[in-house]
Amino acid sequence: MNNLVVLPIIIPLITGLVLAIFNRQIRLHRLLSLLATLSISVVAILLMNQVAIDGPQILQLGNWEAPFGISLVADMLSAILVLTTGIVVSCCLLYAFASIGRERELKYFYPLVLFLLTGVNGSFLTGDIFNLFVCFEVMLVASYVLISLGGTKLQLRESFKYILVNLISSFLFLVSIAYLYGMLGSLNMAHLSARVAEAGQVGLLIPVSILFLIVFSIKAGLLLFYWLPGSYSAPPAVIGAIFAALLTKVGAYAIIRIFSLIFYHDPQITHSLIGILAGISMLLGAIGAVAYWDIKRILTYNVIISIGLILAGFASFNQIGLTGSVYYIVHDMLVKALIFLAGGTVIYVTGTSKIREISGLIQLHPQLGWMFFIGTLSLAGIPPLSGFVGKVLITGGTFQADYFWLGGIGLLTSLMALYSLMKIFMNCFWGNTELTPEMEKGSTRGLLFPIGILAALTFLLGLGAEGIYQYVELAAKGLLDPGIYIGAVLGSNPIP
Amino acid sequence: MSWLHILIFTPFIVALVVPLLYKQFVHRIHTGWFALGVPILIFLYLLSYIPAISQGNTLIFTLAWIPSLDINLVFYVDGLSVTFGLIITGIGALVTLYSIFYLSKEHEALNNFYVYLLLFMGSMLGLVFSDNIFVLYAFWELTTIASFLLIAFWFEREKSRYGALKSLVITILGGLSMLAGFIMLAMVTDTHSIRAMVASADLITAHYLFIPAMALILLGAFTKSAQFPFSIWLPDAMEAPTPISAYLHSATMVKAGIYLVARLTPIFGGTWEWFWIISVTGLITLLYGSYNAVRQTDLKALLAYSTISQLGLIMSLLGMGSVAIYYGTGNEGALYALASFAAIFHTVNHAVFKCCLFMVVGIIDHETGTRDVRRLGGLMQLMPVSFTLMAVGSFSMAGLPPLNGFLSKEMFFEAAVNAAQMSIFSMESIGVLFPIVAWLASVFTFIYCLILVIKTFCGRYKSENFDRPVREASVGMLIAPLVLAGLVILMFFFPNTLSQYLLHPAWVAIQPALAQAGELNVNIAFWHGFTPALGITIAVIALGIILYVYLPKWSKIYNYYPRAYTLNNIYDQLLKRLENGSRWLTNAYMTGSVRHYLIYVFSFTIIIIGASLWLFDGVAFDFSRDAPVTVYEVVLTVAILLAALTVLFSNSRLVSLVANCTVGFLVSLFFVLFRAPDLALTQLVVETISTVLFLLCFYHLPKLKKEFAGVKFELTNALVALGVGATVTIMALSVQSTRLFPSISSYFENSYELIGAKNIVNAILVDFRGFDTMLEILVLFMAGLGVYALIKLRLSGGKENEEIK
Repeated sequence: MNNLVVLPIIIPLITGLVLAIFNRQIRLHRLLSLLATLSISVVAILLMNQVAIDGPQILQLGNWEAPFGISLVADMLSAILVLTTGIVVSCCLLYAFASIGRERELKYFYPLVLFLLTGVNGSFLTGDIFNLFVCFEVMLVASYVLISLGGTKLQLRESFKYILVNLISSFLFLVSIAYLYGMLGSLNMAHLSARVAEAGQVGLLIPVSILFLIVFSIKAGLLLFYWLPGSYSAPPAVIGAIFAALLTKVGAYAIIRIFSLIFYHDPQITHSLIGILAGISMLLGAIGAVAYWDIKRILTYNVIISIGLILAGFASFNQIGLTGSVYYIVHDMLVKALIFLAGGTVIYVTGTSKIREISGLIQLHPQLGWMFFIGTLSLAGIPPLSGFVGKVLITGGTFQADYFWLGGIGLLTSLMALYSLMKIFMNCFWGNTELTPEMEKGSTRGLLFPIGILAALTFLLGLGAEGIYQYVELAAKGLLDPGIYIGAVLGSNPIP
Repeated sequence: MSWLHILIFTPFIVALVVPLLYKQFVHRIHTGWFALGVPILIFLYLLSYIPAISQGNTLIFTLAWIPSLDINLVFYVDGLSVTFGLIITGIGALVTLYSIFYLSKEHEALNNFYVYLLLFMGSMLGLVFSDNIFVLYAFWELTTIASFLLIAFWFEREKSRYGALKSLVITILGGLSMLAGFIMLAMVTDTHSIRAMVASADLITAHYLFIPAMALILLGAFTKSAQFPFSIWLPDAMEAPTPISAYLHSATMVKAGIYLVARLTPIFGGTWEWFWIISVTGLITLLYGSYNAVRQTDLKALLAYSTISQLGLIMSLLGMGSVAIYYGTGNEGALYALASFAAIFHTVNHAVFKCCLFMVVGIIDHETGTRDVRRLGGLMQLMPVSFTLMAVGSFSMAGLPPLNGFLSKEMFFEAAVNAAQMSIFSMESIGVLFPIVAWLASVFTFIYCLILVIKTFCGRYKSENFDRPVREASVGMLIAPLVLAGLVILMFFFPNTLSQYLLHPAWVAIQPALAQAGELNVNIAFWHGFTPALGITIAVIALGIILYVYLPKWSKIYNYYPRAYTLNNIYDQLLKRLENGSRWLTNAYMTGSVRHYLIYVFSFTIIIIGASLWLFDGVAFDFSRDAPVTVYEVVLTVAILLAALTVLFSNSRLVSLVANCTVGFLVSLFFVLFRAPDLALTQLVVETISTVLFLLCFYHLPKLKKEFAGVKFELTNALVALGVGATVTIMALSVQSTRLFPSISSYFENSYELIGAKNIVNAILVDFRGFDTMLEILVLFMAGLGVYALIKLRLSGGKENEEIK
């Protein structure tokens, strides 16, 4: 039992509630919310080291023994993701301080981000499938409010679609849980895993597992991503960045968790299906990314490519591929935030998202330009940036699993991703400088610092890959050996 | 960390400092002077390895990077890497010196220029010294990025950006493919070290991944070294400043592919696939480049095509030399291995004379303001030094004595003649084409060399063609090409010295087996007697002069080739079609209509779940354990169905709403029947509140207008709805019949003893699963905040209201 495990969930929850009471104190909001995200990062680092030494950390809430209460489980994967989330949200908050605007700040922007974080961290840490549903709801309702916060026409139209699609996926999620509970009589994931192992993953369990896959695919933007491009481009840049960095990753995490912990017995069926979906997603994402001349659209389609790549590594289901996936999630959370914030800044400065209308920004904003460039290279997997290691490992994993086509699609689409982003860089930052400082729609004051942190992190994660590699490798080992997780949750007690 | 590591990192470190120095000294000292020390230093250091490598020794320096993944900076010093290292730093120093006089410190962004240049230099050095394939790949991509930035150095120009993007797309495509090949190699051999792979070469050639790995890696090498048909990026790369063209796009970076093929020859060589792919690609490139160089009017474009052609020549030599590995030790092996030697020799020679030529063209451009041969002419008297340099460089390229190009060109002819006599790999039937292509391509080479010299410097001087008085370049700019021209001549007279210290050790790296047997011997002589190679040289000169004289008569053949089918046009069209096709496809399914999106999601669900139910025997109906159906239940079910249908077909919002809440109330009656009073009460409250809220909202809404969207659309909707309903129902019934384990809920039945609660549901909600409840309360709280914010905050969207799908 380790009380630290619950902190990443309740720190933002309590901070958010307190802030909601003092809703005119914007400076307090900024200070406390940043403090909350930073302290979450610290807790996550502590957890990572404890997990490295003692194995997964468990908290049985209310002291009810598993499987009767709700178990919180911090294994290496969860701890790494919580840490990355904390860092990314900290950077996004810094960016928001200078960009989100007083009206939105007064209308509970910071509490909502913290509640979103509650849901995200809860999803990463919970060991109970119904609680996972509840955490998803927390995250989604926070995102519904954030996406519509401000009430511009575009936001309202896109948030309607977003909410509708997500409501349906929530409904399917609930139905799947009911089916699973009906058959297995439990909600604790470790317990479910043990029971599936005992009964064998056959018959009706396969369709039920695939229903879970569909639910999480909608959330992750795996093939069923149609809601994503519109809704991620509607809200202000910083909200888009938080969504792009976190929300789809939660869906990807859920797929990884469910199909490595519970339904891992028949990878020929489930994981091949995930691989196929991943391949199609990468292709459709890359095709969408090269199709347009609009910053927001190009960036959102790039989200879909990465999700495909992460799950391609997972589909290979071997040590190399899984290590690559975990590494790539961390990388992608940082770099997606970087590229969305940098792209958002371009739109903020020029007042347009159409790259044909922007030119020569590098003369006025060299730092912004080069940070966008670094993000572009990192996303394409150019060494020594952070994308490199993940891409090599994922490709290696798919090759080892004999999914040569999948690894090939991964490499081809990373070329297309590079092309699409380079198009933004070359058209917006190069060329003749048409803007003058007076004509700019907004100032970059305060915006470059958080982007700079993320750019530095992508360098650090690439050059210092060895530093986090042992943690990532442990996370992948944990995924391949569910016994570690189950043993930690259920202990040696006889399971009823 | 060894000195070699430190020195290879030096360019990167200096690159970080250069912008600061630039800011400090921009008006006083040309930034190039700060960069110049780097290549000189490394060059001198690399010279110190020569004694060791000329005795056949090799050195290894290791620095850990990602040891867990076996990705480490393992730098391997042997003849091949030192030869390339000396080219990179030697030419690098001369180019830097030249650039100091070429680029104005007042008008150019010198900080960027030297940062990119140093970045390139460091990456290139890392590339040739890396023994670890993934580190090699890392440096490989970095050279691409540096080259991309340098080509687009004048980023305001449309053509610069076009050229940069083209080189990036093509070389990254190759780079990624090479990465895939490397990963396969690593899988097969279980090592990341090239040396170790050479040792287990047999394992690779016998493996089923041999062909894919080889093809993928060669794609990388061919794109980088501008082999046909990937050569199209190189002429456009000439948009870079001339010092860069001289350095990257003729002497060093484009040789990376050559280096890679040479380095991997001991692994893949000796197979007919390797031999054919490389030799044929090389020969085609050779012919294509030289044929196209003749028709260029821009001197730089001419040199670009000439570079393509020369790279093809070297590539084909490497192909021919690889055969030696098939023969193993013995006379035949030693004979064919000479081609590998010629490849290295020509790589060095080409770097020297081509760099010199580029510099002269740069001088002409700098002094006259044009590079167009149609406007140039008669510059001999005005620029005598440049003329001499151009003549030395060109005639060396044409293969004339007493210049270094003559020696390697002769060896090339000899290798081609030898290859024609091979009796393996089906060479007996078509091998004779090798010397013919070599001869033909050399004729074109000879012609464009004459164009370079004669059209630029001879003839009549037309002062009206120039916007400035033409004079000889400053001494500073002439130093570097003078050194290179001196080398061209020196290397002709002392080839064996060069061979002993540098070329032979490099040769050993390509042909290790023969080297071990002590059968790698070469003696370069000016005069071999009347050999076939000499005959070809004479034939080249004879036909070359004739064709040059009659050039105006036959040059029309260049116009016959349709423009639509040029490689450039194909590339442009491909890219355009890719974009248009992508837009068409994406617009086709991303309609922006949420109805469509839901149809996709639901159809996907029905198909996948339906298929898996069918495939894995998921459907199992077992009603035997079910309670008997009572009349109440039947009545309720019928009522619910009727109410649900009313929602669909009603023409008034109010009726629909009432019908909708009827469904809810009836469901709560089911809870009563199934003895779940808490749930029934909850459901009643929820239904009541939501109905009241709906009624409040509907009061403000306009009258409902039934729209009929067409039979097809409505039918699709109906099918999807039925499908989803059926799927969910079938699964639910099957679950009901497939209870694999008893539920854990029996534990909660003791809730009175556990927590003193008489109501299990309450106990679960507030204690066992209180955490869920807390978070659900948070959900409600947020929904409240959201509604409040929506009502209170209405920002104007302005331009954000654009259509986004």
